[in-house]
Amino acid sequence: MLENYFPVLVLLAIAFGLGIVILAASYLAGIKRPNAVKRSQYECGFDPLTRIRLQFDVRYYLLAILFVVFDIEAAFLFPWAVAFRDIGFLGFVEMMLFLFILLVGYAYAWKKGALEWE
Amino acid sequence: MPVPMPDINLIALLPEILILLVAMGVLLLTAWSRETTQPLLGLVAMAGVALAGGILLIQTGMTTTTFGGLFVLDPFASAMKLLMLVATLLPLLMSWDYLARHRLDIGEYFVLTLFALLGGMLMASSGDFITLYLGLELMSLSIYVLAAFNRDDPKSNEAGLKYFVLGSMASGLLLYGISLIYGGAGGTGFAAVAQAMGEGGGHAPGIGLRLGVVLVLAGMAFKIAAAPFHMWAPDVYQGAPTSVTAFMAAMPKIAGFAAIYRVLLEPFGPMQSQWGPILQFLAVASLAVGALAAIAQTNIKRMLAYSSIGHVGYALIGLASGTELGFRSVLIYLAIYIFMNLGTFALILVVNNAGVGDEINDYRGLAKKRPLLAFLMAIFMFAMAGIPPLAGFIGKFYVFMAAVKAGMIGLAVTGVLFSAVGAYYYLRVVQRMYFEEAETAFRMEVGLLSRLVIAVSTLAVLYWGLLPGGLIDWAEASIRPLL
Repeated sequence: MLENYFPVLVLLAIAFGLGIVILAASYLAGIKRPNAVKRSQYECGFDPLTRIRLQFDVRYYLLAILFVVFDIEAAFLFPWAVAFRDIGFLGFVEMMLFLFILLVGYAYAWKKGALEWE
Repeated sequence: MPVPMPDINLIALLPEILILLVAMGVLLLTAWSRETTQPLLGLVAMAGVALAGGILLIQTGMTTTTFGGLFVLDPFASAMKLLMLVATLLPLLMSWDYLARHRLDIGEYFVLTLFALLGGMLMASSGDFITLYLGLELMSLSIYVLAAFNRDDPKSNEAGLKYFVLGSMASGLLLYGISLIYGGAGGTGFAAVAQAMGEGGGHAPGIGLRLGVVLVLAGMAFKIAAAPFHMWAPDVYQGAPTSVTAFMAAMPKIAGFAAIYRVLLEPFGPMQSQWGPILQFLAVASLAVGALAAIAQTNIKRMLAYSSIGHVGYALIGLASGTELGFRSVLIYLAIYIFMNLGTFALILVVNNAGVGDEINDYRGLAKKRPLLAFLMAIFMFAMAGIPPLAGFIGKFYVFMAAVKAGMIGLAVTGVLFSAVGAYYYLRVVQRMYFEEAETAFRMEVGLLSRLVIAVSTLAVLYWGLLPGGLIDWAEASIRPLL
């Protein structure tokens, strides 16, 4: 009974082992020649203007979330559009229902002012 | 080339459609209504839940599969959904005063509650791993936000974040398991998977499938907070607003068990010899954690978190026995559990209205100031400890009987022993209430809705303790079509 699960244990060991090996190998075999420029934070090639631990405006997060939602919507719309002729009227209705549910969320976000920057 | 469309039977989905429409309607009303009218949206939500319950009662006995096997309606699904509706309606009713006092009674609270319920209902009706996963995610995501709903309270934020991070990890495990099962069985439908699992004729199937079973069970065990996947529960229960804790301790557990039933009996049915020992281990671990760790707790919400881990352990004993009696006993246990638990939380919310904290010591002397409340609390504590003639005893009795009849005497004895250990910390609350002096006056109003919930829960605990016949017949009728 329990020996059936030996492969699970092996997988667990491999997963942990691989993680350790990768980290250890890059730590041991990597060439480390630090200098002041390499150690500073990366900021598009400029000299860094601020410290790295600055607060992000929560509005970026809000926009990112909204973007993901409608990005996924588009990802669903493309295959639907390609197969539009084959899936018939029912396929059309299904997609409209999906869009309607997203529209409700969109209306809510809009009314709540999630799309306004100020 | 036209693609064949699956059969669609919207009648079977009527309760879900109703909940979805009410949730979307409340969402829009939230944005377009004034702040003062927001609490009324709670009434709309409750009405929706009650109406869905009515539809479910009409649907009882209906058996159908629709959306090409993705959605299953059978007596088992109806029974589980009915429990979920009760486990949503009662917390909404009893948190009315609490939400108003903490200014949480805004539309979003009710929308999230409804979406969580919708996810849970889909889980109970899933006939495919995809439906199961979608339902689970809808439920979990809503509850992550609910746990963090009190934005001004750092503990609530911490609870939400912790639950989200750990919950995502569990979803990852589950999804990985599902993908392995898909790889091994060539499909995600429960029927296809069951066929692939059964090909070995009772022997262990390929390693991919076996790994899939382990990972899926681990993901589910996380959702019902079974040890060793329980670490999130105490922190989240303590940090979340108490009204959310009450909801969280009831509805998602029913949904999680509904999903476990579906998965164990349909796709994993041929592999009972494989998952039986896993469940036994989960059961014993949950019992041990629930009983031993609860003793050290000083916060009543934290103590109830460990208590709920223990209750999951008892229910898992029934599942682990793998017999018809065992499956039936879990349903009985869950029905009793939600009333015991929600009754307790209703009382905690009432006492909370007096401005008292959540420490067990805050309940000192409750019996002298508010004898009736203390007496009712004592009833629920005795019921949770499993002392006859209260309903908690019936639940435990059936679970242990199922284990004994299945020849798992050791498991039953372990359960009884931990039950005795568990009685200590339930009775400690009673001791604080009755044998210590009060520091506060416990001056608070007990709202009408809270009274209603407490009365219903008390009646259920007393009635099923004395006359469990109806409950047992109901459980049998619900579970038989699955076997």
